[in-house]
Amino acid sequence: MHITEGFLPPLHAAAWTAVALPFVIVSAWRVNRLMQDQPQTKLLLAAAGAFAFLISSLKLPSVTGSCSHATGTGLGAILFGPAVMALLGTLVLLFQALLLAHGGITTLGANVFSMAIVGPWVAYTVLRSTQWLGASLALSVFLAAMLGDWATYLTTAGQLALAFPDPVSGITGSFLKFAGVFAPTQLPLAVVEGLLTVVIVNFLREYSGEELQSLQFLRPALATETRT
Amino acid sequence: MRAIDHHAWTNRWRDRHPLEKLLPAFTLLLLTLFLPPLTTGPLVLIGMALATVWGAGVPVRAFVSVMTIPAAFLLAGAPFLAISVNFVDGFSVQLAPAGGWLALETTVRALAAVSCLAFLTLTTPLTDWAPLLRRLGTPASVVELMLLMYRLIFVFAERALTGQQAQAARLGYARFDRSLHSTGLLAGNLFQRALDRAQRLERGLAARGYTGELRVLTPERPLSWPHLATVMTLVGGIGLLGGLLREWL
Repeated sequence: MHITEGFLPPLHAAAWTAVALPFVIVSAWRVNRLMQDQPQTKLLLAAAGAFAFLISSLKLPSVTGSCSHATGTGLGAILFGPAVMALLGTLVLLFQALLLAHGGITTLGANVFSMAIVGPWVAYTVLRSTQWLGASLALSVFLAAMLGDWATYLTTAGQLALAFPDPVSGITGSFLKFAGVFAPTQLPLAVVEGLLTVVIVNFLREYSGEELQSLQFLRPALATETRT
Repeated sequence: MRAIDHHAWTNRWRDRHPLEKLLPAFTLLLLTLFLPPLTTGPLVLIGMALATVWGAGVPVRAFVSVMTIPAAFLLAGAPFLAISVNFVDGFSVQLAPAGGWLALETTVRALAAVSCLAFLTLTTPLTDWAPLLRRLGTPASVVELMLLMYRLIFVFAERALTGQQAQAARLGYARFDRSLHSTGLLAGNLFQRALDRAQRLERGLAARGYTGELRVLTPERPLSWPHLATVMTLVGGIGLLGGLLREWL
């Protein structure tokens, strides 16, 4: 869920940029080092980024009839790990702003925070912890993608609430207001995206073991899971 | 997306120095955010629409279609700035005092800001951003990663479109569960192809002595100071007018 360009007051836009920046810088630094150690990873990462962009512009089959888009945050976090996703997600959001005028430049920081930082980290944490609890891979992938989406959507609602507190009930009221407005579309969408991510991961496990192995250096954990 | 990119590469201002487009658009974006929106916003919106359509020669339809999606988001979200909910004694919804103004101001401000962005997407191809990003301190390899991504997005998009057509022709999107399955297969397939493509590029480059730097030729485009000065004067005029109108009204 993108916050449109110019929707946030300048102070909030600047603050969210400041919050998101350290994550992105650390991620860029790590990726930069990866690329220096092994030049060929640059192409792999570029392909991964382009893939993430296209996933985020895939039309989701929507229950309500209207078409909506996937976010790809869950899948990205599962495939590439949240540390790399901070940079890849930022690039994807930047591309969406500059190629499609979707999202924005002043609101980039806020969008990066919800979609490239909070979403992937929640998805990754859910994946790890459910795996540790012994859930099946399908279940943990589903939960990871769905909860990652919900976290993103709640973060966006929170950002909007902080920017536009309700004159009567304050930030809490405003948060409930924004969360409520987008709930009818976002909640079922996240479920659909969760199911979709399971389909994708199953497909990849069945047919792309080799390719997943090549991502091992980004995220050692998944490769061991898929070596079944 | 391809239509937008097409305009970005073929518009009349394509060969202008990127700074002549980026600087005014960014200045207007900042002015929109900081000056009173109700007077500045419409001026910026009109200015940007004129610059895109009349100046750069991009069709009106393209400009409008780029603006539609963000406008829809605004129409969905803005009315809720105007109402206020109360949970203290039961649940009640009422019109917030001055909420209507806030909603109107935010919508106008965002629309004006989106028009700046629309101008940029329609007149400046992504590759023209690279020098600016480098200047801002982005590591060279990250900029290169971006440019590679940009290229690959279009390669993969074509694959995705073809795949989707093939699936649709086989009734892959006839029912909800089928479409979910098809989308999943499409994405999985795309991932395989993407990584395969990356590997082939890698081998090709390695055979050509790739050491981690892709050298490309950037066409030289002289910065026209008179043009930049004219444009910035207009931008300043818009800002001034926006501020003054507020005083007068």
